[in-house]
Amino acid sequence: MLFVARRLGFACLQLVGLALLVFFTIRAMPADPVARLVGMNASREAYLSSQHALGLDRPVWVQLVAWVSDVAHGDFGRSWVSGAPVMQEIGRTLPVTIELITISFVLAFLVSVPLGMLCALRPGGTADKATFVYSLFAGSQPEFWWGLLFIYIFFAVLGWAPAPLGRLDPMLRPPPVVTGFITVDTLLAGDWVAFRNGVHHLMLPVATKVFVLSGPIIKMVRQNMVRALGSDYVLYARASGLMPRQVAMVALKNALAPALTLLGALYGYVLGAAVLIETVFSLGGIGQYAVRSVLAFDYPAIEAVVLVIAAISLFVYLVLDLVHAWLDPRLSQ
Amino acid sequence: MSEMLEALHPPPAQVARPMPPALFLLGCGIVALSLVMMVVGPWIVPFDPGRPGPDIGMAPPSLGALPALAWAVLRGLPHAPVHWFGTDETGLDVFSRVVAASRTDVAIAVGANAVSLAFGSLLGLAAGTARPFLAGLLMRVSDLLQAFPVFITGMILVTMAGRSELTIVLALALLYTPIYIRLTRAEVLAQRHRGFVDAARALGRTELWIALRHILPNALTPALIQASVTIGLAILMTAGLSFVGAGVRPPTPEWGLMIADGSNLMVQGEWWPSLFPGVAISFTVFGYACFSNGLERYCAR
Repeated sequence: MLFVARRLGFACLQLVGLALLVFFTIRAMPADPVARLVGMNASREAYLSSQHALGLDRPVWVQLVAWVSDVAHGDFGRSWVSGAPVMQEIGRTLPVTIELITISFVLAFLVSVPLGMLCALRPGGTADKATFVYSLFAGSQPEFWWGLLFIYIFFAVLGWAPAPLGRLDPMLRPPPVVTGFITVDTLLAGDWVAFRNGVHHLMLPVATKVFVLSGPIIKMVRQNMVRALGSDYVLYARASGLMPRQVAMVALKNALAPALTLLGALYGYVLGAAVLIETVFSLGGIGQYAVRSVLAFDYPAIEAVVLVIAAISLFVYLVLDLVHAWLDPRLSQ
Repeated sequence: MSEMLEALHPPPAQVARPMPPALFLLGCGIVALSLVMMVVGPWIVPFDPGRPGPDIGMAPPSLGALPALAWAVLRGLPHAPVHWFGTDETGLDVFSRVVAASRTDVAIAVGANAVSLAFGSLLGLAAGTARPFLAGLLMRVSDLLQAFPVFITGMILVTMAGRSELTIVLALALLYTPIYIRLTRAEVLAQRHRGFVDAARALGRTELWIALRHILPNALTPALIQASVTIGLAILMTAGLSFVGAGVRPPTPEWGLMIADGSNLMVQGEWWPSLFPGVAISFTVFGYACFSNGLERYCAR
């Protein structure tokens, strides 16, 4: 319990530090959001009134106090570009990204565990060598390029995949928003046509992500598995006369626990870089929202996006770490 | 039976980490080629990578025509200028741009890593040898930097500081420095009570001299191995930033930018403007991964 509280407290402190750092960094940069908004040829009066409207004519400390008191009330302000509340826009774009990444992670994990085990059971064998080269290759690939390549092959040439223009066919009516995840919402609405269409649109982006993600995950599973197989309890299990299959299961359980922590760190990294795959398939997730905000110097949106993504990454990392500690009680002491 | 024997005699470290030597050689080759291309790339291209020619959207020569063309070029026979990788929508030669872009991408990646390696190892040395209060502060700061989502932070830094090669180098250097601080510090902590360090201390050398002269050179190996991994990652990141429009500016030959320019054509079936720069990234980064993996194995022995 104390362990959980300490980790949670540390994560909160990290978020506060992050928020302050983002706030000051974007204001210290030589970028001028007012000029970006009003245009290069705007008159001096228009510039000043716009600056006043955005609150940028106030001293930085006053801006900070105003922003912190808003954020403390859960209000991240309105986007300077669209005028809509930032939280509402994030609420619309974030589920798209979470859905894509979570499905990809689960599938990549399901593919990688058997492969990693196969390698670890016969280290140095042909399967191990081939898988090793594959994981080294997959882990060092530009995913946006592979996405385009898949589009070329499966959409332009073979015609199996839908056009890479969003989450659903533009002719279909999107389901009423409950969770924001298209796959879940269409099922809740009982709309099988839209569900199939949504899954069809996810096919290529998920395939791309699974390919890229499987590299590091296979490597991780293999390393932990080799370590587990060399341990005393596996020796004991073998000495007790368990079948090789049962021995492998014993080792697998112990090998997957430390892999969870690494998986958590990977999730945060992938969430932050989701913009690449979203851009290729025009999915409209939080990554594309981040690019739009950054290119427009939209301060409230930038601050909110960085905080939300960092908070989710820290949260996922924390949860998987706690699961790890629960599986391996030595860690929580 | 054989499994039991294996359990009793655990396989040595080499068997536990398979690495065909051919792969390491391939890695060395690609790394060397990328560094050579970084220097000479823009000087050896057949066409000016910045000046459009008359042929617009021309496909590369078909596979059947390649041998005859190659023969003509090698023999110095008179021939029309060959666009080996075709031309893009504005009439720029894709081959020349792919070759010239290796200077942009590799130089940014190497530069960013040189800067972060220099700062990171010195700060890591400080974190490993300084007073606990200072060291703790340094580690908390680098924890904080590592909590930032890497790609988005890079995007913010580059865009707001003004998109250019220099800002990308500085932004990547800032993002990668904590990695080197952590690695060097761990190694410094392992080295600081080794025999030769105590010997230097007994000779009456100052702590600063010992740290710089004895501890640092012995603590750099993990950081140097990490550098060859991170150069690959930096190439991916540079190309990614340019791909989403937050990297180098358009006329510059750069792999990610070229892929972005060709992406709409790819959907329509015109594959060559995006395919070749992607192959370049794919091979280069894979080469750095093989190289670093081989190095790691070599140093672990």
